[in-house]
Amino acid sequence: MSDWRFTARQLAKNPLSLTGVVIIAIFIIIAIFAPLIAPTPAGQLNSYMIPRDGYWAEPQPPSAAHILGTTQGQYDIFYGVVWGARSAFRVALVVMSITLLIGIVLGSLAGYFGGVLDEILMRITDIFLAFPWLILAMALVVVLGPGLKSVMIALIVVWWPSYARLIRGDILQVREEDYVEAARGLGASSGRVIIRHVLPNAIYPALIMASLDIGAVVLSAAALSFLGLGAPEGYADWGQMTQFAQNWIVGPLDNPLKYWYAVIIPGLFILFFVLGWNLLGDAFRDIFDPRLARR
Amino acid sequence: MEDLVRIRDLTVRFHTYEGVVYAIDDLDLDIRQGETLGIVGETGSGKTMTALAILRLIPYPGRIESGSIVFFDKGLRSELELLKLSEDKMRSIRGCKISMVFQEPGSALNPVYTIGDQISEVYLLHQRQELGRQAKRRIDSLLGNGGTLAASIKRPFWRWQSRLYNKIAEGSNPLEPRILSHIPLFRRLLWRLKDEAGLLTVSMLKDVEIPDPDRVAGRYPHELSGGMKQRAVIAMALACSPELLIADEPTTSLDVTIQAQMLELFRRIKADRGASVLFITHNLGVAAEVCDRVAVMYAGRLCEVAGVEEIFLHPMHPYTKALLEAVPMPGKELQTIPGALADAFNPPPGCRFHPRCPSAMPTCQHERPKLKEVAKDHMVACYLY
Amino acid sequence: MELRSYIIRRVLLLIPVLIGVTLFIFGITMLFPPAQRATLYVTNMRQLSDLPAIIQKYGLDKPFFVQYGTWLNQVLHGNLGWSRAISMPVAQAIPHLLPATLELAIFAVPLIVLVGIFLGTKAATHKDKPLDHGTRVVAILGWSLPSFWLGLVLMMIFYGYFSGLLPPGRLGVQMDILVDSAAFIRYTHINTIDAILNLNGPVLLDALRHLILPVMTLSVINMAFIMRLMRSSMLESLGKGYILTARAKGLAEKVVVNKHARRNALIPVITVSGYLFAGLASGAVITETIFSFKGIGWWAWQAAVMLDIPSVLAFALFTATLFVVINLLVDILYTRVDPRVRLGGAVQ
Repeated sequence: MSDWRFTARQLAKNPLSLTGVVIIAIFIIIAIFAPLIAPTPAGQLNSYMIPRDGYWAEPQPPSAAHILGTTQGQYDIFYGVVWGARSAFRVALVVMSITLLIGIVLGSLAGYFGGVLDEILMRITDIFLAFPWLILAMALVVVLGPGLKSVMIALIVVWWPSYARLIRGDILQVREEDYVEAARGLGASSGRVIIRHVLPNAIYPALIMASLDIGAVVLSAAALSFLGLGAPEGYADWGQMTQFAQNWIVGPLDNPLKYWYAVIIPGLFILFFVLGWNLLGDAFRDIFDPRLARR
Repeated sequence: MEDLVRIRDLTVRFHTYEGVVYAIDDLDLDIRQGETLGIVGETGSGKTMTALAILRLIPYPGRIESGSIVFFDKGLRSELELLKLSEDKMRSIRGCKISMVFQEPGSALNPVYTIGDQISEVYLLHQRQELGRQAKRRIDSLLGNGGTLAASIKRPFWRWQSRLYNKIAEGSNPLEPRILSHIPLFRRLLWRLKDEAGLLTVSMLKDVEIPDPDRVAGRYPHELSGGMKQRAVIAMALACSPELLIADEPTTSLDVTIQAQMLELFRRIKADRGASVLFITHNLGVAAEVCDRVAVMYAGRLCEVAGVEEIFLHPMHPYTKALLEAVPMPGKELQTIPGALADAFNPPPGCRFHPRCPSAMPTCQHERPKLKEVAKDHMVACYLY
Repeated sequence: MELRSYIIRRVLLLIPVLIGVTLFIFGITMLFPPAQRATLYVTNMRQLSDLPAIIQKYGLDKPFFVQYGTWLNQVLHGNLGWSRAISMPVAQAIPHLLPATLELAIFAVPLIVLVGIFLGTKAATHKDKPLDHGTRVVAILGWSLPSFWLGLVLMMIFYGYFSGLLPPGRLGVQMDILVDSAAFIRYTHINTIDAILNLNGPVLLDALRHLILPVMTLSVINMAFIMRLMRSSMLESLGKGYILTARAKGLAEKVVVNKHARRNALIPVITVSGYLFAGLASGAVITETIFSFKGIGWWAWQAAVMLDIPSVLAFALFTATLFVVINLLVDILYTRVDPRVRLGGAVQ
């Protein structure tokens, strides 16, 4: 338990990690109170679809009706970025928890029982890891049909192998510890040994890696959306909103930065969301990195 | 006998996250010319820190808070206050006049360079002028002989090289070779320096009784046994004939038979070279074998200093006595010292040994005993005397 | 001799990996109707108009493994199908697009690796000092940046605000025409190198002008990664016993860091740099797409959004091969840097 106190104190002491905590807290508040901050117009069934004000292509600057302006196709930027926070959390949490679950189950089976099972699993992960993840994810999304659900499935598919490997490695180490031997010696069943004795001690590094990876998951999902493979048009998704700006980065000659709001704002939300997680993750890594002993 | 090193009031502290560690507390210690002084104590008693303080290599977050370390430089015939020297000056002493052998030969050698390279480095650093002189001599002999065509073509080049090495030999950091040594390809023009250093390295390796030194010089550390590695480390430390050799538990990580060989080597080195040796060990038996005098440390302080026979025959400090009784001997029941080593963050006040001391008195709890000479050449810090 | 047998063994090991990769991707493509998969067997434009004949000829309604066999046979005869994304046979597409991607990698990777190593070393030697904190903030910011957004913002500034200073694409229109004319010999199809070989200054300048933004976009994100890796690896190395030995020898701190610590710290960085190169050489999808830098990555994106199956499959094969080959090179390089490593074996 003193470990937790140490962690909390380290987090509070470091201005960077504190910034991370504050950023994430703000995003959590935005996501929870999205219906209050940006109420869904009456009569609209799906709150995640951004209300649009006409079909005119040119983005409109901030005004009383649209405080952050509108994107190409008159989607309200303010509504989009607020509800986009919900999408971001959803993608991050769903992808990360399922990835962890698959990683834990397969990793611990392979690590604990070893042998042929282990060999097969490792060769499969080899194949997955031989790919650049973005391409594999793109191919999967294309096959599954564009959409947020496909993006999540694709990200899980490209992400689980590294977790399975990590957990397998940790299990292999913990398996040899004396207390595990002792539990086995006392006649505990394999399942019980894994769940009660091995996993709690092996899972820690995976959780830290997960906290480091959340930012990357959100970035990847945004990238897929940006490439036109993610959310359906008009869905509150930061990546897609950035894509809307792609044709408007250069304004007319007399005012080249005319559409700055359409370009800058959605991207800033992605940046800060990811930054928050990465600041936290970096602090965690520093605290727990066994190679850099506490001083 | 003259003192080679005189340490006075040395205090080293570590400022860590959990608090301040008093690694060394007001230490007074002399190392005499030509003697082997042993420092004995448990792990964490400040033995290694004393050695590192002499070299001014206390690792972060440690700091030398106060005190003085005076080193008598035989070459310069003058006394140097090591703690006040510039970093540049200090570097010219490290590895040259004072050198150190570390506990773990495995980790003391850089795995990616050959043994020869690592030893040559010392010569190239500290004996550059000497190497330059040697190289010039060799080129001059080339210039002197032969009238073959090849020789006459190369002659202008040799002349230039001779001038170059002469500049190095004259010292004072001449411009031309200094520029050359910073340009990757041209650096090779100075290869003769490296060659000369290599020759010295091989003879040094032979000196520490490494068989087949030519071959070993080209080996990487992982290709050698522990004993060989330690010999190489010793060769590295002796390369410049230091006046003080610090040996930090040089035999602890070795097999017993190798240990004996190593102690033999140390004795011979001392006899051959007349250098002083600061021998750090937790093993009293080892200390008895190689040391002339022994200093006993406990929790960052000195307890007792005396000649080796004196300390083994008439130990005075209760801690020394306890240590001697803790040495296993056949036919005698093994005694242990009650209690645990003093807490580094919260050392007990007064004498640091008092919580474990069988003959502690009330004064011991709040007053620190001073080191005083109770017999000839026998200093003790204890209120019993 | 040892090296050769090692390489042969590793190349043979490539075969099962490639079979696994292709089985996997081919399995996914089986989810599509035969008409869409038919382009896998097309060799020229004319055949496109008669896809039912192709379906018939190659048995696209047969069981999975029969189709896989047919396809594999095709591939081994050098026919990778027709790329709808760029309207040419896939087998020609790769050599056509690779130079652009290589050009990007050639400029980006050394920049990323050298600057990353330099800054990582500095950060480690200045641990907990302002420089360390500064580089840490920059690094975290760097890998939190969405690269697509960074690209857009850079273009907004350097293409929009500074009216056309650093444009997208590989070359301006004029230079493009010049490069394709008889006066300009295309040795490598890598613009900058060809420009130097042709002693053509304007082409070189124009090519560099087009390279700055994509290289910058790639560098910011990847440099942060190399830098942090180098920092932690360097810190580990600086804590080792041989560093104390080096200091006790009297070596200057600069030599201790640059010679004794860095060589050891570089070992993990080499692996990552290898993967970085493999990643970039197999196409920086997002960067190439944003800047219309028409290389392998741009092609992959085009293929993905157009459901151009042969291109995606070929791309997967290409990248998997590249990764395995780079992996092999990294292993060989390892033995040069770390004498403890033997080919095919672990650290002793």
